Amino acid sequence: MPIAIKESSVQHWALRCVGVAALAAVVAYLASGAAPSTLGKVTEACTLAIAAVALNLLLGFNGQISLGHSTFAGLAAFVGGYSVNAWHWNPWLSLGVACVVCFVLGVTLGLPALRLKGPYLALVTLAVAFVWPTVARKFLNQTVKASTLKGMRLKPPSWTGLSNNRVDRSLFLFWLSLALLLVAYVIVRNLRKSRVGRSLVAVRDNETAAAVMGVNLALTKTLTFGISAAIAGIAGWLAAAQLATLDENSFTILSSIKYLLALFLGGAATLAGPVVGAFTYFFVDDLLKTHAPNWHFLPGPLSKGPVASFLLGVVVIVFVFIAPYGLVGFVKAQARRIALLVPRPLRQQQAPAQGDTQGDTERTEQDSPAPAGEM
Amino acid sequence: MGHLLQYFLNGLARGSIYSLIALGLVVIYRGTGHLNFAQGEMALFATFGAWWINDHGVPLWISILLAAAGAFVVGGLIEFSLIRPAGKKSPFAVVVITIGLFQAFNSLSGLLFSGAATGLKFGTLFPNKPTDFFRLPGGATWRYENIGVLVTVLIITALLFLLFQKTKIGLAMRMVANNPESAKLAGVPSNKVLMLSWALSAAIGTIGGALVAGVNANVNLGSMFNVFLLASAAATLGGLDSPVGAVIGGLSLGVVESMVTNYPKNWLGSTYIGADTAIAAAFVIILVVLLVRPSGLFGSTRVERV
Repeated sequence: MPIAIKESSVQHWALRCVGVAALAAVVAYLASGAAPSTLGKVTEACTLAIAAVALNLLLGFNGQISLGHSTFAGLAAFVGGYSVNAWHWNPWLSLGVACVVCFVLGVTLGLPALRLKGPYLALVTLAVAFVWPTVARKFLNQTVKASTLKGMRLKPPSWTGLSNNRVDRSLFLFWLSLALLLVAYVIVRNLRKSRVGRSLVAVRDNETAAAVMGVNLALTKTLTFGISAAIAGIAGWLAAAQLATLDENSFTILSSIKYLLALFLGGAATLAGPVVGAFTYFFVDDLLKTHAPNWHFLPGPLSKGPVASFLLGVVVIVFVFIAPYGLVGFVKAQARRIALLVPRPLRQQQAPAQGDTQGDTERTEQDSPAPAGEM
Repeated sequence: MGHLLQYFLNGLARGSIYSLIALGLVVIYRGTGHLNFAQGEMALFATFGAWWINDHGVPLWISILLAAAGAFVVGGLIEFSLIRPAGKKSPFAVVVITIGLFQAFNSLSGLLFSGAATGLKFGTLFPNKPTDFFRLPGGATWRYENIGVLVTVLIITALLFLLFQKTKIGLAMRMVANNPESAKLAGVPSNKVLMLSWALSAAIGTIGGALVAGVNANVNLGSMFNVFLLASAAATLGGLDSPVGAVIGGLSLGVVESMVTNYPKNWLGSTYIGADTAIAAAFVIILVVLLVRPSGLFGSTRVERV
């Protein structure tokens, strides 16, 4: 019999605090003593996580698949990098502008998406992702000519007390990527917990029913596309800032597929899923790339050549069987055997204030212990 | 006029290969409603298999058929052991598995066949000496190779059509595609049908992969990726649940690609339009078609009950 923990009770808050403290401890440990290469990897994982968070908003919560998120990331990297390099913009300004440009492209792409569903939408976004590197290559060859971005090499501001050497810069990027990931996470979390978020999920679950309930389908879907694109833009800008080069090959369909895998491995339609999935995917991939070529116990031809990517494929397939709803879904299912989160009971109100009761009923329903059943 | 005919014929040959891979996608989509992302890479692996058999002294055509038979078995096994159990667990699982298979098959080809990354020499399937062509009015030439590819694809399409329309198995496949639950109630062994869909699709893909390799006279790890993308575009253009649509979509995509690659090159010079740009243009056309007909040209629209 699992232990019952009431929502927002002391135990619940204690559990939450333990979780946050553990996370903070890991971050503090990394910030205090990790090598620049490790910090660089964490930064890359954060970039992947931001992109996965963006995709989660669109696919997990709104049910629109996109294989074109690499395009948004790439566009942001190019807009950011080029404006900083050629026009000497402030990098932070370029981040804002890149996000706005991505938002506009996202809304534009969201318009045809209104008419297309499932695999058809997947194909159209796939087409966009396919076309992007070509456009980028033309732009690189004809306009930029040099692909190194000196201006994009961010200098830590003086108040951080970090100097402008390699070690300190990697530490700065590490903090920056964590901060941006947090921003992206909070945006999506707040959207999800708000009225807008409930309308997103309603559209995903049944468009017609949502429309009948008064959700503006076209507005909701295109705006979600735009916001998701803008968040993916943050990831692209961060990648440009970290690499300080423009390379059209960093934003191909394969990156889109990577975002998708990270999202599914972590658990789509959960808030923590994309972040957990991105870090898992990145570090499993990294681990295999580093160590698999040395595993001589593998049979015959497997002990040489590109064994890492083969094993990654196998790991992904096996993983799906163990945790079909992603890591977060798996952990939730296991945790439910030990402890059950009992949602707050509905408040009985004599005179319902406008718009207030609706929020409460929906909230209880959404936190009821079947989150794995979402999607 | 000669140019037009020439580009049309070249496009037709290329498009027929897209049709074949697209047919494989459609056969699976009709049964299970899933896009098989690994279609291209499964075909690639089987093509490497055909190369390997051929390398051991078996005539090329026979080794391709043997590889297709092997792919038939492997495809069925994949459905039985991976797709079916995963499909019961979560709707996303199958997508993830096909992406995993995509990765696994591509790197497995690289692991098992040394030299696969740079490319292995693949024998030609049809006579393709510089003189092997028909001369057509207007100065166009129709190469035997192009004819051979087109005819092969048409034969396979015709066989599939016969299977779907004239046999009991085909009837069962159409029933499952149309309404899986009613089919089950009517006693159709839908599990076997789905397994057969995957097996057939893998075998069709092998022929497609071999045709690509034969035309390029080479097979490497990147051979199938673009072909797969264009084939999935073709399948979508035609409507994902329509075999006729897949064939017509593939052929027209090939023709469009050929026209867009060649015509502006005549007018503007080759600096502006590369092969990639042509593909981009093809995708824009597909986008426009899908905006008018969201389920493709021949696809059926599903009406949902609320």
